Formats: sequence, C-alpha cells, structure tokens
Amino acid sequence: MTYRTASIIAYIVFFAVVLALPLVLNSFWTNRVAIYLVYSICAIGISMSWGYAGILSLGQGLFFGMGAYMLAMSLTLAVPDNNPVPQLMLLNMEPDAVRDLCCVTTGSFLWIPFRSVAVGMIAGIVVPCILAAGIGYVMFKRRTTGVYVSIITLAFALIGQLLIINNQPLTGGFNGLADLALLEIGGFEFDPYGPSAYYAVAFTLIVVILLARYMLAGRIGQVLKAIREDEARARYLGYDVENYKLFIFCVSAGVAGLAGMLFTLTSEFATPSLMATSLSISMVIWAATGGRASLLGACIGALIVNFVGSLASESATFQPVWPIILGLLFVVVVLFMPNGIAGIFKAFIERSGKAERFAKAELSAREA
Amino acid sequence: MNAVHKTSHVAAASAAPILRTRNLTVRFDEFPAVRDVDLSIADGELRVIIGANGAGKSTLLDLLCGKTLPSEGEIWLHDRNITGIGEAAIARSGVGRKFQTPTVFKDMTVLENLQVASSRRVRVFQNLFERVKSGPSDKEIAVAERTGLLGSMKRKASELSHGQLQWLELAMVLSQDPKIILLDEPAAGMTAAETDKTAELLLDLAGGHTVLVIEHDMAFVRRICRTITVMHQGAVLAEGTAEEIECNPAVIEAYLGSATLSHA
Repeated sequence: MTYRTASIIAYIVFFAVVLALPLVLNSFWTNRVAIYLVYSICAIGISMSWGYAGILSLGQGLFFGMGAYMLAMSLTLAVPDNNPVPQLMLLNMEPDAVRDLCCVTTGSFLWIPFRSVAVGMIAGIVVPCILAAGIGYVMFKRRTTGVYVSIITLAFALIGQLLIINNQPLTGGFNGLADLALLEIGGFEFDPYGPSAYYAVAFTLIVVILLARYMLAGRIGQVLKAIREDEARARYLGYDVENYKLFIFCVSAGVAGLAGMLFTLTSEFATPSLMATSLSISMVIWAATGGRASLLGACIGALIVNFVGSLASESATFQPVWPIILGLLFVVVVLFMPNGIAGIFKAFIERSGKAERFAKAELSAREA
Repeated sequence: MNAVHKTSHVAAASAAPILRTRNLTVRFDEFPAVRDVDLSIADGELRVIIGANGAGKSTLLDLLCGKTLPSEGEIWLHDRNITGIGEAAIARSGVGRKFQTPTVFKDMTVLENLQVASSRRVRVFQNLFERVKSGPSDKEIAVAERTGLLGSMKRKASELSHGQLQWLELAMVLSQDPKIILLDEPAAGMTAAETDKTAELLLDLAGGHTVLVIEHDMAFVRRICRTITVMHQGAVLAEGTAEEIECNPAVIEAYLGSATLSHA
C-alpha cells in the first residue's frame, strides 16, 4: 500500500467516524466533541501557516476570539431583551445617555451592523483576515522571521485581549458575551447540544480540510514549502516571498475566525479568555502532536489532546497538573517525534510497503 | 596567441552590453566594500572575477542580484535600471544567482526543486489553483540531463552529495532562463572529477548564456576564461585576458604573487 492510498483511506475513515459519532453519543458528549472539532479546525489553520509555510503564530487565539465575538455580537442583539440596546451597555452607560445603539456608550455604534446575523457571520471571517493582513503586512514587509513572528503575534493577541477587557461598556469586558440567542438560519435553529450544531461543525471541518488540501497539494503548497525551506532562494528565483506569507497567514486567520464562530455556536459564549496566551499555545501543541505538516494529523492531534485533557479534568489528581502534562507533551513531541502522529503513521506505512515489496521480490526470485 | 585573445576580447566588448554598472559603490559603516565599479558584460560573454579574500567579489554579486543595496551607482540590465527594485523583481527581470554554499530546498525532491525554479508563474493568485505535474516537463528533463541529475530526480535534495548540490543549484538557476547567470565559486569544495565536469559545463553554457563567475583557483580560471576582471580592495584593478592579467605588474603585486605565477 502506498502512502497516498493509505492517507486517502485515513481521510475517509476519519470523516466516517466524525459523521457517525452523534449516533452513539449523548447530548453532553455531542456538544463536547463538537467543541473538539472546532479546535481541530483551529489546528488546521495552524498547520497551514506553520506546517506548510513555517510561520509559527502564537497569536492564533486573537483571530479565533475575533471570530467568536463577531457572531456573539449578532446573537446578543438577537435576544429580545437586548433590544434596542444590549443589557451590558445599559449597565455601563452614563445616566443621561441616549438609549440607542448609535451612542449609548462610547463606540457602541460599532454594533449597529451586527443587527444582521448575516453580517456577523461574514465579519467572523473577514475581520480576522483584515486584522491578519495588517499585522502580516507590517511583519513580512519588514522581513520578520522565525521566533520574532511568534513574539509579535503573541503580543498582538495580548493587546486584543486587553482592549476587550478594558472596554467593558462596549465589549462586556472580562465577562464577555453570554446569554446568546441560538443561531437561526432560514427558520432552522442550531441546538448546541443536538446534532444540528454538531453537523454544522463537522461539515465545515470537512469542507475546510478538503479545500485546504486541494490548495496546498497544488503549486502554491509547493512554493510555500520552498519558502519554508529557504526563503532567500525562493526570492532569487523571482517569488515575492512576502505576498505568499501574507496570503497563507490571512487564510490561516480566516480559518481561525471561522472556528471562533463555530465555538460561539457550540459554547454559547465568547470571552476574552479565547485570546489568552494559553489557548494560542495549546493550539500549537495540538497541531504539533498530530503532525504540523499534515492537515489531518493536526486535526486528530486536537481531538486526542482535548479528549485526554477533558478526562484529566474530571480526575482530582490530574486536573491541577494537566497544564504541566501538556507542556511536557510539547517538549517530547518536538524532541522525539517532530512530525507527530502523522509522521509515525507515514513511517509505519512506508516500512510495511518496503517489507511488502521485499516479500514480493523474494517470491518472484524463488519462482524463477 | 596573444593577438587572437585580444581580438576576441575586443569583439566581446563591442557587442551590446547585457549588464552595465555605473559607479557602483557600497559602504558598510563608512568602509567601502565595493568602490566605483564600472562593469560592462557583453551578451553571451563568460567573464571571471578574481581577487583576494575581501576584495569585494561576493559583495559585487550581492549588489547585482539585489541582496545588498548600493550606496551609490546604478545597475542596468539591457535598457532597464534594476537598481533597488528588490531581489524577486531583479530575478524576474533575468538575473540568476548561484551562491557559494549551495542553497536549495533540502526537504524537497530534485524534481520539485526544478519545478519551483522553472515555473515562471510566480504570483500568489496565479498559483492558487495551479496543479503540480507529477512528472518532469521536457525543459526539466533537459536541464537535469545537462547537469547530470537526471538519475536523481526522485531523490530528496538532502540526500545529494556536495557536488550534486552545487549542480542542482546551477540547474535551478538555468531553469529560470536568466539573461545573465552569476556564479560564486561554482567549483568550491568539489573533487577533481567534479571540478572538471563543472568546467565543461561552464564552457558549454558560454555562448548560449551570459555568465559572470567568481573564482579563486587560477588553474580553473585559465581553463574556462576569456576575459578576467581583477578586483582589489573593492575596486577594479585590471581587466584583460589571462595572459595580460598574469603579466600585469599591479596585479602581481596586489594579488597573484610570484608563487602563483610560477605555475603559469
């Protein structure tokens, strides 16, 4: 069996399992696994930028959080009590302020477009992309590489988190946005604990991973790999390296934003903790465990780490030390299995393929 | 003998120059690494630049390919001023650079390296839905054959020998269809047999391509060269045929020395 055949089988098995899971899970676990699948989409984003182009963003949570907030704003306004002005603004407004979204608190007019859920959903992808384009433009035009990219993205995520916490009258501050309406599209309501939200996440995951694979298996994936290997050489061959990096960084941010929206859909809240450093670093650990250069590997890495993590959180012994285990896992993966689970899978397939060929050759030699 | 060389030199110089520099100068912390270099390379010429360590040879190539920005002066390719337009744009306008230590995409196969190099569709959105061919194109086969890599197409670049890496980088530069090829010590670190093959390859390239080579090894230079430019302390010291250079007292004093000449 070639590696190509094996990986196609792996994809099909993965999709089948993902689609079949709600048939055997109760509503609590349907919701849990849906959230893990959201994290898998994040890991796909990381794999695209880090695995393929060597851009290690430690601020992916910023884009994830922005996506989550965009949809959460629309779903806040969709609650009847929050009309014409959300409760969180009424609690924080100046006593004599006009009770209208235009000017109830400073900047509250920014919420106006989010009266439309469609705008919220589009903004959930577009706003992270624009944000990434701005950050990426400054970084890549100045030819920032390696660890400096990680530090800068990390810093931006922290700034984002602080801005949200410190602007409580506009953003809900530390508490974030909760008590959201359920997402309703064309009269169909997505229930976070039922199969509807689960399948919304699952289908999105499948579409994202297939599109990403199609794109990265083509010329652009080859050029990104070349840039990862030797940026200067790519430049002297005539490639505008900055544009390629900017492109994949934005796509990766868009994917994170999409995942953020699905997080809002399945968790029914958005808080500044989504932009915390720990979550951004966790995303990198998921992708590294599964295999950063493999989209499916990164996906599976996110599922496994989160599943084990949630089992650990139910044990009184393991719950407090889980962050330590996660850190150790990262060290072990980086040192001993740089290509993660996907790398082990590949090595196994290639070895058995060789053994198979060897056995065949021996057989034909004996016959002759 | 001398006369023949001179005529060919004059003939080459009178052809339209493909690359010209004017007052090309770069200073690092006030120290001029390259000073007032006026270079004129004719179409189809094979030119060698020699000079002691620190004479500014590699810096000159860095200036020509855009790696370093000049402090003063201009670089013209045909009738286009390519000064300061950026490495990628310079590469697209037809300047190919091979480095002293081979820079290739190590984790990719020889074929993939050539595919990335030979594709002239370099923009992001041109490549967005562009598929990659699983086999080599005629052009890729031709360039691999020329550099002796045809048997290694499926191997990863990291598995190649040092000499093969040098050829792979050369093959990649050739795949770009450059108007001028800049080579920095192409035979560095090669075995005698590999050096012979590289010399043959360069002679084979000359005529069809314009080539500018930096080289230390005078024996190698004599085998491949028609016109030599000698650099000393960042400036051009002399220019001429191998014989002229080796008899030039200023060159002897500054660079070649009596020891080298005794081999001549």
